[in-house]
Amino acid sequence: MLMKNWIKLASASGLLIASAVFQFFPQAAIAAGPDASHFPNVELITQDGKKVHFYDDMIKGKIVVIDMIYTSCEYACPLETARLAQVQKKLGPRVGSDILFYSISIDPQHDTPEVLKSYMEKFHVGPGWTFLTGKKADIDFLSKRLGLYSDPSINKDGHLPHLLIGNEATGQWIRGSALDTPSFQARMIGDFLDNFKHSNLAEQKSTTDGRPLENFDQGQYLFGRQCIACHTIGHGESIGPDLLGVTQARSRQWLLRMIQKPEQLLDEKDPIATALFKKYNGVRMPNTSVSDLEANYIIGYIEAQTAARRQGIHR
Amino acid sequence: MGRKSEDREGLWLSDNSDKARLRAAENARRNRAEITAALSHGKVSRRDLVKWGLFSAAGIMAPIGGLNPFVRPLSGVTFLDGGGGGGGGCSQVPTGLSPSPTFGVAPFSQPMPRFDVLQRNPVSILNPAPQAQSNQTQQPVDPALVGGQTGLTGPIEGRPPGASWAHQRFAQLPPQVAIEVTTKPCIANTSYNPGVTSDLNSGINPAASLAPRVHPNFPVQNSNRIWTFNGTFPPKLGQMRYGEPVLFRHHNALPTDITNNGGFGRFTLTTHEHNGHHGAENDGFTGAYFWPNQFYDYHWPWVLAGFSSINTGATDPRAGAPDGNGGINKLPGDWHETMSTHWFHDHMFTFTDQNVYKGEAGMNNLYSSLDRGNEALNDGVNLRMPSGSAKDWGNLDFDVNLMVADKAWDSNGQLTMDTLAFDGFLGDQMTVNFAWKPFFNVYARRYRFRILNASVSRFFAFALSDGSNFVQIGNDGNLLPRTVNLTQTDQLGIAERYDIVIDFSRYKAGQTVDLVNLQQMASGQLPGQVLSVSQATSGSSCDPCVGGFLRFKIIGPPPQQDRSVDPSGNGQGIVLIPNPTFPTAVRQRTFRFDDNGQPTTSDPITSYANSGRWGIRTSNNGIEGETLSADYGRISAQPGFATSEIWTLEGGSGWDHPIHIHFEEGQILSRNGSKPSPAESGRKDVYRLHPNGTVVLQLQFRDWGGMFMEHCHNTMHEDNAMLLRWDINNAGQPFLNPLPTPISKPTGVTFETPDDILPSA
Repeated sequence: MLMKNWIKLASASGLLIASAVFQFFPQAAIAAGPDASHFPNVELITQDGKKVHFYDDMIKGKIVVIDMIYTSCEYACPLETARLAQVQKKLGPRVGSDILFYSISIDPQHDTPEVLKSYMEKFHVGPGWTFLTGKKADIDFLSKRLGLYSDPSINKDGHLPHLLIGNEATGQWIRGSALDTPSFQARMIGDFLDNFKHSNLAEQKSTTDGRPLENFDQGQYLFGRQCIACHTIGHGESIGPDLLGVTQARSRQWLLRMIQKPEQLLDEKDPIATALFKKYNGVRMPNTSVSDLEANYIIGYIEAQTAARRQGIHR
Repeated sequence: MGRKSEDREGLWLSDNSDKARLRAAENARRNRAEITAALSHGKVSRRDLVKWGLFSAAGIMAPIGGLNPFVRPLSGVTFLDGGGGGGGGCSQVPTGLSPSPTFGVAPFSQPMPRFDVLQRNPVSILNPAPQAQSNQTQQPVDPALVGGQTGLTGPIEGRPPGASWAHQRFAQLPPQVAIEVTTKPCIANTSYNPGVTSDLNSGINPAASLAPRVHPNFPVQNSNRIWTFNGTFPPKLGQMRYGEPVLFRHHNALPTDITNNGGFGRFTLTTHEHNGHHGAENDGFTGAYFWPNQFYDYHWPWVLAGFSSINTGATDPRAGAPDGNGGINKLPGDWHETMSTHWFHDHMFTFTDQNVYKGEAGMNNLYSSLDRGNEALNDGVNLRMPSGSAKDWGNLDFDVNLMVADKAWDSNGQLTMDTLAFDGFLGDQMTVNFAWKPFFNVYARRYRFRILNASVSRFFAFALSDGSNFVQIGNDGNLLPRTVNLTQTDQLGIAERYDIVIDFSRYKAGQTVDLVNLQQMASGQLPGQVLSVSQATSGSSCDPCVGGFLRFKIIGPPPQQDRSVDPSGNGQGIVLIPNPTFPTAVRQRTFRFDDNGQPTTSDPITSYANSGRWGIRTSNNGIEGETLSADYGRISAQPGFATSEIWTLEGGSGWDHPIHIHFEEGQILSRNGSKPSPAESGRKDVYRLHPNGTVVLQLQFRDWGGMFMEHCHNTMHEDNAMLLRWDINNAGQPFLNPLPTPISKPTGVTFETPDDILPSA
């Protein structure tokens, strides 16, 4: 008798709708915040072809970092993924244990597990960061419930690089941008959302006292913001080339163009830019709107770092 | 009458929804609960459900009308958006939640409690005594705050340590009054001080215990659903006098278990005195938050802006404060910068929306020689706004604070919100001073109402239900250069304050008139149409917060003669406080608040950096920047000390952002290229941008240094990336001398070099 109504309803409607719309889950009685009932428990497929459920297998009781991507996205996604890789590096081995990273494809037809896997290799994605695909309707609904949905007509990418970070166990969720400062993201994820469970607070010291800083290196800041996600200076290849000595190997004019208008060099089939594009797995260097002044600061910083490093090595 | 397009996922029902739809949704909810129970009791299997078409293979309920409360029934009933047009979307109120029940209680059936006036004490009662630098005396840290780690100690004060975060000018402006508050879970108020006699507080007996509930016939709130200053209703009012520095000691007594929050809210606090002209260490910087079991000493010096450079000899009585004996205590500074109505609220990084909604909000009335809170004293300086005359200053008899906010509660009447409604959260019930649709008894005379929009995402526009006239005397807490006669207000953005005077002498005893909200919201992102009074009061709007929400009951002629000045000036307005004049601006900056959906150039690649980011794009000196999220370790602008700048604020399409710039009042130079309306021609601290709108304003940076903020005051937007930090260099040094970022932990604040400094900041 209890079930009478809805059984009748099922047979009367005769509807079989494939697109999943809402998950139901035994509801925790106390919390009014986002609990299990808020998060769709849709089924997704990992880059390894494994089936997982969003709530049960992916976020329940965890600190999670979630963005929506698609592998054929040319503009924001590469930098989005590169910056998140920096965040992952800063968090170290905690990613995979108490912190989990998820990038969910909004183009699941194209982004099969195999495609996702090769994309991950391009960006040196470490363990603990899972790429997922699934049913388009499930993913659209999921992204809406997570506040990560963007209308495809919004820009050239059809995509906003929102990043959701949260601790499911404590119900604390924050939406920011996947393109933003990795050190800040790492601090918010690793300490703030974790409630310092994994921080050795007794050991933590200030890197500086509260006084205004003197002799600030603008080039260092710009390099940190614009370049470091994909490049090192003397620490080996990353997503892009190691820039040690690049100011001697290339002309200043070429460097300025590569920093400011990388897409033009590619369009013109500049031989060096084209070779680099091929060598680095077809990852386009993004145009991050660097001004003349900033580009010169960046070049100056690479020069200085190269000189310092070479002196250090020779000494 | 517009029709709302089908929006399957976002569809939540309002109280005004078609009754059949509400019934269908309720049935669906019940059916879902039954299936859940049946499944968990093993009466049916998932296989059965899949077979019957009630489940997808993934274990998800199929979107069949009658089964899923978010799907329309097959009959295809559609929503009316109340004739609003305005983009529709009105049916999503409250955002992400089911309608708030009103338990069969009639509106306007409870008296509106007036604010609870905070006790002013001598500074000597504070133990430990306040000090310029943060008090780093150590105490044990509750292991619950640090993931179970034991044996740790932390400072008793949460303010960052050292000289850079010491109270600026503490020796020059030592505190004379102590106000001590404790934020804690809600309890009954047994020491309510409305500051007026019971006849002026709608008959409320202040000696009776006041339970935390939005109506006497609604359930009492569970202790962790509401967190307020001192843990009680109604909201708190501070009475401040220029030239009388206050030490506001704020204790955090919230639970140390982060999950013990009633489902929303965060236990770390930082208190912004909006829009105080105070040093940065007292501004409630978003990253300078403090922890349970700590306190934070805020030094509110109550100076007139320009006090370090203008009228330094304190010779002008218009720059002054009531001396307590009918005279004026003359003060340095620019009298044109005199402010009247502030509020103070939590500013916790990414949790401001939840904490303010939860009750962390109070108001400050500021008293000066111009705006004295005494309507009778006629010294040629006092502007004699409605207030009373029994005391030398700060009479509240006819000077009433109204904190207006939309709220939502669950089926048990417990306050609730959808914390993942990142684009904006709307409640479906109107509250004034946290009371649901109350009445307020008034005498037939002039009253001043200091109205604050304390919502998360809701805009208002106010009128009287009979369409009659009132006078706007202030905007954002500043008395206007000239009063404005109105029959309805302009939009009131979140955190904006409108001071209005209503003359009830035109009514007879027994008559009533309602304060009505005309502003229908299109969604949490932006307001929709402003309705006419008759539309708004007809009950036809799909937005349940439209219509009357506060009923004035006229109880008869005043016991004493009304001695306040008539601010209507026979319809012409009267002069109150002329605007200050600015020095020449030395710089221009542009801030764009957007998700940058529309690239600004035709080249998709060069515009990439600015397309698709949600946040604020800063352009300093014409150098186009990137759109960036909130990171209080980033310095986006560094105005020079003792300079003036012109800032242009741009809004994106499909959004409306009320932008708050901390520290000092600005003036709108133009809105979309035109002169601002008279009502927003005074000094301001919140600037509504309108969709695709542009507001150009001028500001000054003087007297104090440190790190301040600029952000959208739709707190959902603020918390999710629409916030930036700007610094005034403490010593007035040029570029590239930035302040380290405080990193707050229960064991103490450490400092890090800034994450980022924008070019030409």
